[in-house]
Amino acid sequence: MSEAKRSSSSAPDPAPRAPGESRLHAWARDRLGWDDLAHLAAKKRVPVHRYTIFYYLGGMALFLFLVQVATGILLLLYYRPSAAEAFESVQYMMADVPFGWLIRSIHSWGANLFVGVVFAHLISVFFLKAYLAPREMTWVTGVLLLFLALGFGFSGYLLPWNTLAFFATKVGTDVPAQIPVIGHLLSRIMRGGSDVSGATLSRFYGIHVAILPAISTLILGAHLLLVQRHGMSVPRSVEGKTRRSISFVPDFLMRDMVGWLAAVGLLAALAAFFPWELGVKADPFAPAPAGIRPEWYFLWMFQGLKYLPAKIFGIPGETLGVLFFGALGAGLLAVPWLDPRGKRGIVVAALVVLAAAAILTVLALLPVPGEAKP
Amino acid sequence: MRGFVVLLLLSLATPEAGGQAPPKPPPAINGCVDCHTALEDPRITPPAKLFADDVHAKAGFTCVFCHGGDGRQEDQEKAHDPAKGFIGKPKPREIPELCGKCHSDAALMKQYDPSQRIDQLAEYRTSGHGKALARGDTTVAECANCHGAHGIQPVKDSRSPVSPTKIAQTCNHCHGNAALMAAHQLPSDPYEKWSRSVHYRARVEKADLSAPTCNSCHGNHGAVPPEVGSVANVCGTCHVTFADQFKLSPHWEPFKEMGLPGCVACHENHEIVKPTEAFLADGAESKCSSCHEADSKGARAAAEMHSDLVGLDREIRRATQLADRAAEAGMEVSKVRFDLVAATNALTKARADVHLFRPSAVHAAVAEGLKVARGAATGGEARLKERDFRRRGLFISLGLILLSIAALVVRIRERERSTREPAE
Repeated sequence: MSEAKRSSSSAPDPAPRAPGESRLHAWARDRLGWDDLAHLAAKKRVPVHRYTIFYYLGGMALFLFLVQVATGILLLLYYRPSAAEAFESVQYMMADVPFGWLIRSIHSWGANLFVGVVFAHLISVFFLKAYLAPREMTWVTGVLLLFLALGFGFSGYLLPWNTLAFFATKVGTDVPAQIPVIGHLLSRIMRGGSDVSGATLSRFYGIHVAILPAISTLILGAHLLLVQRHGMSVPRSVEGKTRRSISFVPDFLMRDMVGWLAAVGLLAALAAFFPWELGVKADPFAPAPAGIRPEWYFLWMFQGLKYLPAKIFGIPGETLGVLFFGALGAGLLAVPWLDPRGKRGIVVAALVVLAAAAILTVLALLPVPGEAKP
Repeated sequence: MRGFVVLLLLSLATPEAGGQAPPKPPPAINGCVDCHTALEDPRITPPAKLFADDVHAKAGFTCVFCHGGDGRQEDQEKAHDPAKGFIGKPKPREIPELCGKCHSDAALMKQYDPSQRIDQLAEYRTSGHGKALARGDTTVAECANCHGAHGIQPVKDSRSPVSPTKIAQTCNHCHGNAALMAAHQLPSDPYEKWSRSVHYRARVEKADLSAPTCNSCHGNHGAVPPEVGSVANVCGTCHVTFADQFKLSPHWEPFKEMGLPGCVACHENHEIVKPTEAFLADGAESKCSSCHEADSKGARAAAEMHSDLVGLDREIRRATQLADRAAEAGMEVSKVRFDLVAATNALTKARADVHLFRPSAVHAAVAEGLKVARGAATGGEARLKERDFRRRGLFISLGLILLSIAALVVRIRERERSTREPAE
């Protein structure tokens, strides 16, 4: 009786170890389902064609995201999120903490590289039409991840509490105020008051290290699951022209790792030769210095808003500009539904937007006559 | 019609006092201006026009308060009646007393500007200008020469010739006139010399109005050249520490005995240039060697102070260069810069202590600065070593990364050869 009860309530006995199988492998096989995972990895294959190189951008973005997570956690050990101590804590990291300079510089350079790679990934996916059915939600989660990357950049820029970041955040948090009806409330919520202050720093810190990472983890998980679910998209132009493929593990992964190692080398070189500058501590009572600019990926919007006239059809130009950028973001999310059949029209529209953004960015980077260098 | 308006206005006016008694609350009508403006005589019309913007006119004073006569009369003879105190254009010798009539009257001045001094006339009488005028020399400055006669503005008004930014040029009108100054046996180059001084650079080029101009040292209404014995006091009104130190120095008594003009003996009076360590050394710029013979006790003390100051200055420059090089490489050098500020402050103090003319005092301040400057230099060197360490570390890391990439590429090739699927 007791024997029967014991056998019915317990898990099946572990399979005996195969000849030559290590104890660790057998342990992982029985408890973690290692063999199922290995089988899944072995089964996953990556098509090989002339656009395969663009597949590496997703892996590179993921790798740089993980670099940001790792270096960000290390920075948390010393960073103090208050207007009185933030600048000094970063200064301490840069001067006195062993390898603090390396971690901070990699985090700052990595952030820029990450945003750049995410942009490149999005552009390649767009032009290869990888958003077509059934990958609409993969596209949507990807665009949301881009927005989150921009959010990380915007919130992280203020954290060292230096002059440039302070005034750039002032300008940046003024932008949502242009949204009709809720704009001013939104701006106040972002700032934690009527102006950029220690309260803004506290909430940007919370957003940067807790809220955005939590949301990103969820959306990134969904994005990766969807990529796994639908497999790699093969562009129509090469569809059926090749049946060649390589295994994801280890062939594609090894190629990925070549890129990741190169990225680590690039980040290390940038950190060693061009340590990320800290600048001067923010003084809220000082006049705004000349040459205030946001990070490079916001420059096109910043410059675009500058060129708008004060009023367009009686509506403030900046309000229309902000609404236009909002519509552009919504349009980007809706691309799979705006172009469900992969027509050429949307490509032309995208090229126009990209060219305009590139021109505006270059114009913003050109020196303004009579303006001192920041 | 014009005459009717004047009469109407005059009929509304209160009776005016003559030119002598202290004025009562001023009337609002000034008939003199109407005639003098209408006559369009280049001799009398411009003053009448200027008077409209005069501080006195704005306070309600009229021509008769200074010139006497009767401003209510349309007829020139009646208006210019000497019986009513008409004096016409006051003579230079009369002007100080004329202005002092009101400006020395405490009760009157309180009604218009309670903070205004009332000792200008008394001061003027003690001035070089006032004494010369009293002797009958009318080529010297009286009130109107500096303040203007009819368009007088408050001193704080930038249009006034005696406003803080214009007073030096106003003094230079006469004191830069070579012929006039030769007649008074005075140099005509004080403005030119002052314009090469540190004071001019601070005041004019850096717009620092606390830097001295002519009246800061010479006084304004009581303007005189500072006496030999009072030079240190005059300079000491701003350079308090230097003056105190100088009075404690071994130079104080001998300077007094020899009649040497204190600060001016080394620093000049108008052309006060930025002092350097070279003042203490042998050479063209030397100040000490003009009194102290080579190898004398004084010359040795000067050489000792010179050596100390130059040593600290050199160490600060070295540390600054190190900090700059480290900063250019992107190193964090704020602590080094902080120490450099402290070292520079010590150098400033040591330079000030020169006025004690005791090498031990300078040496103590220099020793303090040297300690900090050497610390800063060590900090700068450490940052440069750290930069080199980073670069060495980077090259080793890059080597390892390249090796890993090479190994991966070899492995990828191997697998390509062994697992390549047949192309369709």
